[in-house]
Amino acid sequence: MERFDTALVLTRVLTSGVVMSIEKNDKELPALERLLTKRSGRSRAVLVNSRTAAIHAALCGQGIGHGDTAVLPDLDPAAASFVDWLGVRAAGGPAPAFDLLSVTPDDAGAFAEAAGRSTAPALAVDLTGLGFGPAAAMLTDDERVWARAERLKIFGAFDLRTMWTQEESEPGLVPGVQFNYRLSPLVAACVRMALTQAATRTPAVTGGTQR
Amino acid sequence: MITDFPSAPLPLPDERDVDAELAEFGGPAVIPAAQRRTVFPVITKEDVFTMLLAQRSDPDKVVADFAGEYREYIGARHALPTASGTSSLHLALVGAGVRPGDEVIVPAFTFIATAQAVVAAKAVPVFVDIDPRTYCMSPEAAAAAVTERTRAIMPVHVHGLPADVAALRRVCERHGLALVEDASHAHSARIGDQVCGSLGDAAGQSLMADKNFPLGGEGGIAFFASDEAYARATEFLERTGIDYRMSWVAAAFGASQLRRLPYYDAVRARNAEVLAAALGETGLFSAPYLPEGHVHAYNMYRIGLHPAEAGLGDLPVWAVKEAVHELLTAEGVPAREWQNTPIPCHLPFRHRDGFGNGYPFTLNPAAVRDHEPADFPNVVAMLESTVVLCRELRSPVEYERVRRYADAFRKVAARPDAIRKLVAEREYRRPYEKAARLG
Ligand SMILES: Cc1ncc(COP(=O)(O)O)c(C=O)c1O
Repeated sequence: MERFDTALVLTRVLTSGVVMSIEKNDKELPALERLLTKRSGRSRAVLVNSRTAAIHAALCGQGIGHGDTAVLPDLDPAAASFVDWLGVRAAGGPAPAFDLLSVTPDDAGAFAEAAGRSTAPALAVDLTGLGFGPAAAMLTDDERVWARAERLKIFGAFDLRTMWTQEESEPGLVPGVQFNYRLSPLVAACVRMALTQAATRTPAVTGGTQR
Repeated sequence: MITDFPSAPLPLPDERDVDAELAEFGGPAVIPAAQRRTVFPVITKEDVFTMLLAQRSDPDKVVADFAGEYREYIGARHALPTASGTSSLHLALVGAGVRPGDEVIVPAFTFIATAQAVVAAKAVPVFVDIDPRTYCMSPEAAAAAVTERTRAIMPVHVHGLPADVAALRRVCERHGLALVEDASHAHSARIGDQVCGSLGDAAGQSLMADKNFPLGGEGGIAFFASDEAYARATEFLERTGIDYRMSWVAAAFGASQLRRLPYYDAVRARNAEVLAAALGETGLFSAPYLPEGHVHAYNMYRIGLHPAEAGLGDLPVWAVKEAVHELLTAEGVPAREWQNTPIPCHLPFRHRDGFGNGYPFTLNPAAVRDHEPADFPNVVAMLESTVVLCRELRSPVEYERVRRYADAFRKVAARPDAIRKLVAEREYRRPYEKAARLG
């Protein structure tokens, strides 16, 4: 992405005055959620502040926690250590509980295609490679997976107008441990622009834009 | 243009406004509806420029430079910048030597993240009551909760007032425990010359954009007093692969905000003083207690209610509180509840599922309690008899706005009849009879 565009996005959000993720006027996080669901074809997105948070959201969303086993996708050593730290043990099997996809500036244009190939109930997308700091998302079609994962991040599922009531109609949705996995609107705005540009621009063959 | 710039200035205070009919009953509001927004954080051209410059630097350097500068401001030996306050508390606990199954003593009154960070460290939070005047952890209650499995005491400098660190330190020394601060409300708060964040063996602090010292979104920082504590935290990050890193975008915003923090702190202190003087004259209201030698950060401003002083001693204080909240909100000053029940009464600590299947609570069943609000009488008494100003006073608001806050309190205090009428008409409930709220 060109620096000018990042500068424009950062300035736009700073000028709006809304830089907080729990601000009811924030429009950046919902906009990135919409883009990710549209591109991936999954109906729900949970935005988080790191790839490990997305893995946690994918497992926790499916009710997989400490002492449970799950079929895991190929994970690098750091991600495997994290799953181990969560207390989730690897089981054998053909269909992983989640897929993990990392997006970089070079392959951001192919995100929709790559996401479309995922068949796991949850798709963890690492957006850190886009260059705006740790950022990720967990995508799913399952409403309950989404609802549980949202509750993992403090404030995640709470209505700002009712001051984040913890009253739950469904006992299965009561949060357990909660981490602050909230993503910053400024980061979300930059990620969204990077993804949007990657999809709309055809790479120049000679000259043209530089990264 | 998309901007948060206010559309009109606030009218100057006018003595006659105090005697006008209450807004609740159709009179003019002390702060007109169109002028109620308080901007926070204040974002200036320096913030924008610093952000644009940062974009041209190495992201790791932007974060490291910010953390280094702020560490010096705090006077801590080591710092680890993080993605949130909760993660900073987690790392502070790990650094302080907290291990799975350990007990960590925390106040029953705080934001839920304090206790959730203990669970994140796979330890069990043991909740204790607060001091009735400071609202921070009671050192006596902490001492009484120590067992053989206690590893740390984690006070919260709640609302921005430093906890009684000297007394808590004595408890720690007596039992060989670590002292871990939750300094999330207490940016620049001090005891003597020592800044919160540098008082314990380790500390965590939220820097999210709604805190006194805001980053560009979400962020936090952990401080460590020793090389060993710092090494334990970094080794933990390495071993678990957990990604708790701060974004350069958040850090860049903090770099320019840090330069203006002393200015905003001074405005908050000035505003708190103006309001305290006015509240002191009302009888019905009292300003936050400030122990000698403590510097309050005023992240939140908790106001006491004294119904007997206004001839309302026969009414339950929690009902008076609800009526006052309603009347003040109508005047444009949303003094409200912040927390309505002790933290152990929130669902995650009633169900205790933790990481799944009850872990880590299962590691130490003897430390686990099913709590009722009544187990924490000082928390309950505070929740029933106080209202809180949050962003309205955290924001470095104009002098005329604070004067208008003061007028709103005067106006309501002068109308015990109105309070009595609302209490009779409404069906108010005690704070903890409502569903637990996060904030
Ligand atoms: C006392 C206290 N501790 C911890 C936290 C958690 O910080 P964060 O939201 O940055 O994770 C907060 C605020 O949110 C807080 O008020």
